[in-house]
Amino acid sequence: MTSRQHEESLFEAARQLGNKAARRAFLDQACSGQPELLQRLESLLSAEADADKFFTVTVMPPGELAKRLADGKLEPTPAPEADDRSGLAEGLGTRIGNYKLLQKIGEGGCGVVYMAEQEKPIRRRVALKIIKLGMDTKSVIARFEAERQALAMMDHPNIARVLDAGATETGRPFFVMELVRGIKLTDFCDENHLNTRQRLNLFIQICTAIQHAHQKGIIHRDIKPSNILVTLHDGVPVPKVIDFGIAKAIEVRLTDKTLFTAYEQMIGTPAYMSPEQAEMSGLDVDTRSDIYSLGVLLYELLTGRPPFDPKKLVQDGLDEMRRTLREREPQRPSTMVTTLQGEELTAVTEQHAAELPKLISILRGDLDWIVMKSLEKDRKRRYETANGLAMDIERYLNNEPIVARPPSRLYRFEKLVRRNRVMFAAAAGVAVALCIGLGVSTWLFLREREARQRAVDAEQKEIELRQQAELREKITQVTLLVNQEKYQEADALLGKISFTQPTVEGAAVLRSLGEWQACRGGWKTAAEHFSKLLQVDQLDSWDVVTLDCLECGPALLETGDLEGYEHFRQAAVARFAGTTYPVADRILKISLLLPADQKLIESLVPLAGVTEQTFKTTVGGANEDSFRAAWQCVSLALVEYRRGHYAKAADWSQRCLAFPEFNASRVATSHVLLALAWQQLGKTEPARAELALGRDAIEGKFRAGLDRGSAPHGFWFDWVFAQILLREAESLIPAA
Amino acid sequence: MLTNMSDVTRALQSIGTDKNPNPEELLDLVYDELRKLAALRLAREQSGQTLQATALVHEAWLRLTGHSGQHWQNRAHFFAAAAEAIRRILIESARRKARLKHGGDQVRLEIEGLNLAGVTADEQILLVNEALERFKLEDPEKEKIVVMKFFGGLTNQEVAESLGVTERTVERQWAYAKAWLFQKIQNEK
Repeated sequence: MTSRQHEESLFEAARQLGNKAARRAFLDQACSGQPELLQRLESLLSAEADADKFFTVTVMPPGELAKRLADGKLEPTPAPEADDRSGLAEGLGTRIGNYKLLQKIGEGGCGVVYMAEQEKPIRRRVALKIIKLGMDTKSVIARFEAERQALAMMDHPNIARVLDAGATETGRPFFVMELVRGIKLTDFCDENHLNTRQRLNLFIQICTAIQHAHQKGIIHRDIKPSNILVTLHDGVPVPKVIDFGIAKAIEVRLTDKTLFTAYEQMIGTPAYMSPEQAEMSGLDVDTRSDIYSLGVLLYELLTGRPPFDPKKLVQDGLDEMRRTLREREPQRPSTMVTTLQGEELTAVTEQHAAELPKLISILRGDLDWIVMKSLEKDRKRRYETANGLAMDIERYLNNEPIVARPPSRLYRFEKLVRRNRVMFAAAAGVAVALCIGLGVSTWLFLREREARQRAVDAEQKEIELRQQAELREKITQVTLLVNQEKYQEADALLGKISFTQPTVEGAAVLRSLGEWQACRGGWKTAAEHFSKLLQVDQLDSWDVVTLDCLECGPALLETGDLEGYEHFRQAAVARFAGTTYPVADRILKISLLLPADQKLIESLVPLAGVTEQTFKTTVGGANEDSFRAAWQCVSLALVEYRRGHYAKAADWSQRCLAFPEFNASRVATSHVLLALAWQQLGKTEPARAELALGRDAIEGKFRAGLDRGSAPHGFWFDWVFAQILLREAESLIPAA
Repeated sequence: MLTNMSDVTRALQSIGTDKNPNPEELLDLVYDELRKLAALRLAREQSGQTLQATALVHEAWLRLTGHSGQHWQNRAHFFAAAAEAIRRILIESARRKARLKHGGDQVRLEIEGLNLAGVTADEQILLVNEALERFKLEDPEKEKIVVMKFFGGLTNQEVAESLGVTERTVERQWAYAKAWLFQKIQNEK
């Protein structure tokens, strides 16, 4: 007998006992030790009489039933769930943790969204999204928890905050978000007939939101119109990006093809997915995947539909879909709108408040270029950042030359004229005044002086803009040369550029050419490029910037520029001191390539603490990232060694060697570090053995020739780093 | 009417054979019957006459099978389908009215001492239905009883026949279900 049947039979038995006292005695005995059951039965029994009335009395007026039956409609059966167990058991009013479901506000491929009321610690309305798919709730929550700190750091007016996550009683994961009362971006634009400029202004705000998240190390992974809601604040439309961190938390293992169906259901449409996401090759999805999705979004905002037909992508099947995303060039937006016909055409021109010829002429040129650059198949050729994309749109709106387009003389001249229409008009006015000439009044004289001042100001501004444009033009040329692998020419041109401000595109070329020089042994130029890079990479994410540091340090030491290295490491420590961001281990490693003074070591202790903490919380956990953890051991071994804690240094090196994944550069480095530690502990023999292991690997690598490398096999700088420590060990440990 | 009748009959007759009718199809056919009957009654302007669900279901059944001597087992299937059809129609119209914010002039339920007094018919229907959805997850069998009793207005005997259980069981389970549902509804309000 189930507990429910048991409850029912007790209910029935008690109901038969008319006498209250007898009932009470019966229940007390039957439910002894089960206060909850007793309470439930008592309240059921007390409801009985009223329930009877409630279900017997019907207030349907005479004739009403017949009327309703006569002109009624059969309520459609609720759609059968693919899997009953994955069906949503949570009805309205259900309590989930601290939340009470109030109203269903949306349903998608991936889950159901409710408006809910949070009761503790504060009373407020929130959005609660329950994930539908049968998924491994534990790992979903673990992945969410891993990103929680970073998510909490996001604070932006265009981002809906993600507040909480957990599991329902039926074991399905749920997420709690700030409640946004808005409508889907594309619907908002169309319903309000926003013109292109208004649409672009909304889009720029979305880019700044994405940029903010990227700077905190959060990638959205599922940017699409339904994840951007527009609300009105005092009549001003404000877009809000929702669902941050959720795509990552619920991601299935993308390398596993069998799970594709699940993935497809979840994402809903692959139309917004970047080629590398669709490829699922295990290639890390990075911020540039979001740039691609932003490009698709922009495309749809401008033309009314995404570059590839979402329905067709799904119908074509997995392989064909991948091929399309990987190989097929989308039509330019201006070309796309010319193919629109019939109703679709009418809808688009109406929604965009522009006739077709006008719309085409708006799109053709700059906007085409901006969209196409965001949609590049090769992520290296997209905008590096969301900011870069937003800046280019702003340039377009201000009639300035854009980055996306390789500028020609004529193009720049066109821009100059358009930009300075007002000034030309003013100058013409001055000319007329001068012609009237001799009898000028004071008033006219003042007018003339004012106009001249304006002209001078405009000219200065123009010079400044031209310099900036020239700088951008040169950077673009270098970028093009790098893309064509004409490194020699690119490098020569790069040498002539003097950078004056942070630049995303500039940083990208400095990085590529620095790497190119490093791999061919051009250490001096490489070091120069990387040093410049660290001056202009402020627009990039911390992840990228700390990698830049890893490149700069070894390059400086290989040129023998000890003073430069000292300067570099002081700057790196100053820039990243106090960070809790999980890249602390990179700064440790790069700052301790050479022995350091007490002061520097002291300033690194907090970073070592953070690294050790991260290491402890991830190792062995559900979210273990053994790649990162193993490298953290290297950094910690090095810190302890520099602090003179040799036993600890040996311990960390051994822990690093114990990781099962083989990464040649990391293993070689650990052998060398262990050799150093053992020598300091007086164990010369084992030190020699470790040194020999490290030496063989490192020398072997350099004999084979240095290439850019990759994360699993070690980047070039990982190997140079190992070599620098090897030299230190060779001089410390006496040969046998 | 004749063709339609034979459709329903055929659907009912095939129950239990290997050509089981699609339950949705049966529901559509039964509803069609009910609607025609209701329209007929309204056309005759028998206003003031309380047309109860139970009378409607029975009358529909008689019209359908008057001469053909259907086996009572089929009658049970018909009753179950009719109750479900009425339920869906009432819910649909209640929801539509709720959306259109109509129904302000509806009669309200007034029972002395009942703290659910003041509910309109539409609210009553929606409240019961909502609680029933949850009840179904825990106890799909008893849900059928509630649909036949509350929406179809059937007797315990008819429900018992339809479900192939004893009358006593229906009485017991209906009492429990009422208490359970009422309590849920009360907590929600």
